[in-house]
Amino acid sequence: MMDVKNKEDILLNVNELSVQYKTDNTTITALDKISFSIKNRENLGIIGESGSGKTTLAMSLMGLIGSPHKVYGKINVTGKDLMSLAEKDKKKLRWKTIAMVFQNSMDVLNPVMKVGHQIVEPLKETEGLSEREAFLEAERLLKLVGLEKYWKDSFPHQLSGGMRQRVLLAMAMSCSPRLLILDEPTSSLDAVTRKSLFEMVRDLQEKIGFSMLVISHDLSAMKDLTDKMMVLYGGEILERGLTREIIEEPAHIYTRGLINSSVQAFPYKDLWGIPGEAQTEVKGCVFASRCTQALEGCSEKKPYLEQVFTNREVACHRGGIVDLIRARGISKSYKVQNTIIPAVKDVILRVRHGETVALVGRSGSGKSTLAHILAGFLQPDKGDVVFDNQAVKGNWPACKEGGIQLILQDPFSSLSHRFTVEDALLEPLKVNKIGSLEERIARIKAALKDVQLPADDLFLKRHCSSLSGGQRQRIAIARGLVMKPKLLLADEITSMLDVSTQANLLRLLKGLQNSSGFAMVFITHDLHLARKIAERIIVLHHGEITEEGSSSYVTEESCCCHTKELMEAGL
Amino acid sequence: MGIIKDRKGFRVIEYLLTFLVIISLNFALPRMMPGDPFLHYSGEVDEVVAFYSREQIQYFREYYGLDRPLLEQYTTYLKELARGDLGFSYYYKDNVNSIILRRLPWTMFLVISAMALSIALGIILGSYSAWRRNKWQDNTLYTVLIVFSEIPAFLVGLALLIWLGAGLGLFPLAGAVTHFARYDSVWEKMLDILHHAALPILTLTLARTGGIYLLVRNSLGTVLTKDYMRTARAKGLKEFRIRYLHALRNALMPLFTRIAIQLGALIGGAILAENVFSYPGIGVLMRSAVVVRDYPLIQGIFLVLAIGVMAANMLADLAYKYIDPRTRPAASSNQDTIKLEVKMQKGET
Repeated sequence: MMDVKNKEDILLNVNELSVQYKTDNTTITALDKISFSIKNRENLGIIGESGSGKTTLAMSLMGLIGSPHKVYGKINVTGKDLMSLAEKDKKKLRWKTIAMVFQNSMDVLNPVMKVGHQIVEPLKETEGLSEREAFLEAERLLKLVGLEKYWKDSFPHQLSGGMRQRVLLAMAMSCSPRLLILDEPTSSLDAVTRKSLFEMVRDLQEKIGFSMLVISHDLSAMKDLTDKMMVLYGGEILERGLTREIIEEPAHIYTRGLINSSVQAFPYKDLWGIPGEAQTEVKGCVFASRCTQALEGCSEKKPYLEQVFTNREVACHRGGIVDLIRARGISKSYKVQNTIIPAVKDVILRVRHGETVALVGRSGSGKSTLAHILAGFLQPDKGDVVFDNQAVKGNWPACKEGGIQLILQDPFSSLSHRFTVEDALLEPLKVNKIGSLEERIARIKAALKDVQLPADDLFLKRHCSSLSGGQRQRIAIARGLVMKPKLLLADEITSMLDVSTQANLLRLLKGLQNSSGFAMVFITHDLHLARKIAERIIVLHHGEITEEGSSSYVTEESCCCHTKELMEAGL
Repeated sequence: MGIIKDRKGFRVIEYLLTFLVIISLNFALPRMMPGDPFLHYSGEVDEVVAFYSREQIQYFREYYGLDRPLLEQYTTYLKELARGDLGFSYYYKDNVNSIILRRLPWTMFLVISAMALSIALGIILGSYSAWRRNKWQDNTLYTVLIVFSEIPAFLVGLALLIWLGAGLGLFPLAGAVTHFARYDSVWEKMLDILHHAALPILTLTLARTGGIYLLVRNSLGTVLTKDYMRTARAKGLKEFRIRYLHALRNALMPLFTRIAIQLGALIGGAILAENVFSYPGIGVLMRSAVVVRDYPLIQGIFLVLAIGVMAANMLADLAYKYIDPRTRPAASSNQDTIKLEVKMQKGET
């Protein structure tokens, strides 16, 4: 019984929809076996970069992809199989069942026709309205979207972008559709107009009761208009779940990249795009070439959507973003003159691949102790650390490539004065017996370039003592980078530098992270700095975690007194 | 508002200046031709027949004022022109106005019919081609029409004359009506006129259709890729509406200017065609006027043709503004916006 009711409630069901664009001698797959469904009054969002197939999806739902291009799969709208309908019957379905608010462009409305006429045109044709009735209907629809009725006599070029968007909306409303597709509804609007448009769309939905498919690359549109969301990339769905949850905690590397590129999600952070270009026509995972956690098998076999936790599906061979390091129940105390001083108490911590976590706390809160435990330099009294699915016992993660590297606060003491730059950089490779001499030299030169220091012999032969603090800290970073770590523990690395050097160094580090994809635990006492560079913030107080969450949540919505104290102290 | 007035004023001045230049050229050109109206009185080119004696020529020159200084002749010409008097023909010994008025309807008949036919054909074939872009129908039409538009009109005319007129005897070889014919009804007369005009009109139409066809085909091809065509399709409109109300209307915009520009060429073509078919229009008249160096007649014909072309351009300008709402630029769209703004203020208060 329940099942039947559920089935009736489904407005649109898309099953294994593929679209191929054919040109003279090439075939481009724009959509590859997409399946999803929308219930009545449900709002689904589709997010993705340009070229990901979003608009193609909308076009195929409207049945507007004609020969020579090919559409495969099944599209079922209100119980009708769209693909098997004749063109004449498809026409009947268009606008009456599925209407669309097109992406706002200069050309989207016919330039030589009055706006009012264009709005009521589809209705006039099906209902056979008289001139007078059509006239009144146009006025009613314009009023519905908050435009004065006399605009019906204007031509498209006389409207502003925001007004044109409203006209497009009014046009889509003319036949009271069951499903409304919004294609980039906000692309040309300012923030205020955008907000009022969202409100209007929601109001209309209350009144008319349609479902929505929102296509956008704009996170705020997703947040405000949709309940569920799909992430589209290279014509495939990479992640699917509840909108709020995905934005709070993305499970796919690509989704995280999108969110990190978005001003709305991170108002304070620097923006970092996803490096690389999208590739299509690949055998394996479409995102493999840009993915920083891809394994060899990823480009061989296609991943399919699989549930990773409640309400979330991800198409990834590794089950989404992997946990790089997991620490459970970590406790550590020091014994000073018969007194036991607890440094870290029962800490649970998780760092995901490619993520930046800021560990914030006052001096003496146990940050450095925790960092040393994570790297395996200190043994915890209780609890265990798992790095890359292997228990951390001893300092093995620091000894291998793709492990953990620790960068310390004070570059003057972390680098020996007597070492030349070359010695300092070669040391980890020598100690761990990695590569031949030539390979080692090549690698340290690359690392020097990465940290924007000269890589010539003259510089290599300089003594560390002759370098400035900023240069030394960069050498220290380069020394970590030669080991190609997956996790970088940065312990107050900028606290001894002046603000300008600090800013340069942080940008450099984020840039390197963006290109090579290592995760970072950034230890600092400055909450504002943490907000600037980290996705997640963990606040440590007297060795205990008092707060943990996304950086905007911790810095804006926190109700923890200690966090507020830190915030205010920093200002 | 000031800018709007200035723009309109500028247009008027532009037209006036063009007109003045035309009049002056009109006056100068015949006089720059080698030869003399009375020397070449009845001669074809290169066979000078001295019909008049030296004294007689002197007499005629004085009589028609050709012995006066050029500047004086020019001012007299302008004065007469201002009164609407085009002068007195040396050869036909008649008023230029009435000579031209007698001949003009024939030329206009040819030009207007050919224009209407070529526009109709161009639009029909051009849109047919655009809907079937790159299919065989399009390719064939394209080739055929390009070939026809590249052949000079008089050659096509000659071919038609020799083949359909002389060879098959389907059409008369010269004239606009059968001489000394008596008609039983108006219909019969009209049929006779059409029979005579058929080949010249066909020639001109063939020469002109190619350009219009190409324009419509390309313009419609561009329009079909526009976003608003996708919008129209998505709206589930009937095919007829999509094709003719949405697509063709936009595609025909550039046609108006094109037709006006082509009118000059069409008149040039008509002059040649008339001579090929000995059609008694202004073209044949012009040829004989040039041969005998009949200054007033040459000037009159040139002027009438120039005014015709200019008027067509002006009309196209105005029509375009009416048809395409985007090119009622500063002028009316501003006024519309002002009106809308006023309404809006009233609505708000």
